[in-house]
Amino acid sequence: MQRLTRLLLACTWLLASGLAVAGDTTDLDRQARHLWYDGILSGYQALAREAQTFARVAGDYCQAPEQTTLAQVRDAWQRAFLAWQAVRFVDFGPVENDNRAWQFQFWPDPKNLVARKARALLTSGAPVTREQVEQGGVAVQGFPMAEYLLFDDAFGTSDQALPATSSCALLTAVAGHIADNSQQLLADWQAFRPHYLDTAQFRDTTLRAGVAALEILEERRLAQPMGLRGTGKRSVYVADAWRSGRSLAGIEASVRGLHQYFFPGLALLLEHSDQPELGPWIDAQFGEVLEHFPALRQPMAPLLAPEGHFGALQGLYVDLSQLAVLVNDQAAVALGVVRGFNSSDGD
Amino acid sequence: MAQLNRRRFLQGGLAGSLALTLTGCGLLPRTTGPAPDQYGGALGLPDGTFGVGVVDRRGRLLWQSPVATRCHSGCNRPAADEILFFERRPGWSFYVFDRHTGERRYHIRAADGEHFVGHGVFSPDGRWLYATASRYEEGEAIVAVYDARNGYRRADTFDLGGIGPHQITLHPDGDTLVVGLGGILTHPDYDRIKLNLDTMDPALVLMDRHSGEIVGRVRPGHHHQSTRHVDVGPDGTVYVAYQYQGPRYETPALLSRLEGGQLREIRFEDDTQAALANYIASVIAHPENDLVAATSPVGGTAVIFEGPSGRLRARLSLPDCAGIQPLAGGDFLISSGRGKLVRLGGDNRPTELASLPVYWDHHLV
Repeated sequence: MQRLTRLLLACTWLLASGLAVAGDTTDLDRQARHLWYDGILSGYQALAREAQTFARVAGDYCQAPEQTTLAQVRDAWQRAFLAWQAVRFVDFGPVENDNRAWQFQFWPDPKNLVARKARALLTSGAPVTREQVEQGGVAVQGFPMAEYLLFDDAFGTSDQALPATSSCALLTAVAGHIADNSQQLLADWQAFRPHYLDTAQFRDTTLRAGVAALEILEERRLAQPMGLRGTGKRSVYVADAWRSGRSLAGIEASVRGLHQYFFPGLALLLEHSDQPELGPWIDAQFGEVLEHFPALRQPMAPLLAPEGHFGALQGLYVDLSQLAVLVNDQAAVALGVVRGFNSSDGD
Repeated sequence: MAQLNRRRFLQGGLAGSLALTLTGCGLLPRTTGPAPDQYGGALGLPDGTFGVGVVDRRGRLLWQSPVATRCHSGCNRPAADEILFFERRPGWSFYVFDRHTGERRYHIRAADGEHFVGHGVFSPDGRWLYATASRYEEGEAIVAVYDARNGYRRADTFDLGGIGPHQITLHPDGDTLVVGLGGILTHPDYDRIKLNLDTMDPALVLMDRHSGEIVGRVRPGHHHQSTRHVDVGPDGTVYVAYQYQGPRYETPALLSRLEGGQLREIRFEDDTQAALANYIASVIAHPENDLVAATSPVGGTAVIFEGPSGRLRARLSLPDCAGIQPLAGGDFLISSGRGKLVRLGGDNRPTELASLPVYWDHHLV
């Protein structure tokens, strides 16, 4: 009985301490979730809009290539792709359904599955059906597949190059799939509203999403192609969107998306934390990163070349890693959120 | 190495959690099992590389061996001085070390078309190693059997009749393999993407280790309760732990007990359920009593409950906690991805024993 009492006391203490914290922060957390919810909503709206346009322009081009140019389709692809980059940090909620994030962008692709799948689908010469895209897996279904068709140098000079019938069929099927996915994601996000606003855990989930996105930006999207990690070799092929030369534009869009949709909720929480000074610092650091653009809206490959302007990438890297330090090592810690060795492992 | 030898016994409280009591002694407690004076585990190292290692009761790194990729779990070979570690899924090999010196004796690669998933268990005599594995093109779960007495030669293959096997352990009857079949289809070409969430069919599988015959298959209540981790109490009661694949705002049961041919769910009150964040990394039934421990690194929470009743006895907030080792005397040791070793028992009075500059991986061995 004595042991039971002790246990109960301990549990009471634990609960009491938890409630004390909860009581002070519930409203604030909810406000932050409201800010995040609305931000992500507008990001998803933009994605749905741009993906719709891309599908329409791709369809127009394939129907009448003499009236709509390939450049117009590429431009529409880029707008939709960049809209996706802006919300790519969201790794929870309806984007998890059916691996939607992977459907939008299968990456990294070290085995070049996108090109292999494209070749396999186009070998027969028969028009690719929407059904084949639906069943084809994530390497077939997203922006990288469309990018391959629209931008790949070797493919663009082959006899299957757009607007060949079978390639056009694949392009319009993929673009249609992206558009439908974007539309469904938006609808699901709208339906998700009460769950997101009412579930306290989504505070930490959202903070972790921002942290993870910055880590991926710094490490995998920039440091790796720059040769600062792993083998030490510079290689544009480990970046994403290298075929279209939009790796850096994509980084810019992701940083802008984080600033626009993620930062407001973070800033609110920091303002009421022990380290209110962090909010303005982070805001300013977002500015430092974004100052590299539009100058750096250019293909990454020439900058990685021996005679290239590597210093420009180094400058971006320094500012981006400084942003990651502020958000991941300082703000997240101040708010009690850290990505763990095991917690981010999934096994 | 010198850095890894550094050991701090904390003088104060465990930040943000329960108050600490000091150990008052310079030795870590003995564990149960074949190597009571050692704590083995896969490690992440501060420089970003990976290793496996064994810590002695003074908290000193007895040995550490570098490995090419991150390892996950492993097992001690009974009646021998060997310890094994499996690479993390998709694991292309496992390593066999001298438990005392860390000398690497074998590095066994997965057969063509197969990969390991991080777990294995020995027959009681230490001859046969049963490792869960996946034939990844077909997506078939198997138990790969190796003959440890003959240089870990591949001896047999048992079909599990499903997808995504994970932890495997041996029932105290000495004959029955207990396997968690997570149900999730993955493929090494597609990173760790879950390819079949709509149709996944997780199960607890019981298998005769001599014949490979499946003697029991029990499904959880919901097909999104991915049945990953398993353990068996001294009385033969089987416990399973789930990783829930549905929406995060749902809080289904994450643990269950095999009873009358069914998985009887163990649920805690809402606050504790939420703290477990739909993810259990390890479940261990204590071999000396009826207590069971489970950890959630995602929720930064460890719990101890009474196996038969499911009644919660202890709850600890420990960021990134994952590994569990039963201690001689009835308590558990919990490790974390931040190098902590914390003692926790049914009395709910956690004691931080050590903090080492390593990231302990999911399981203690």
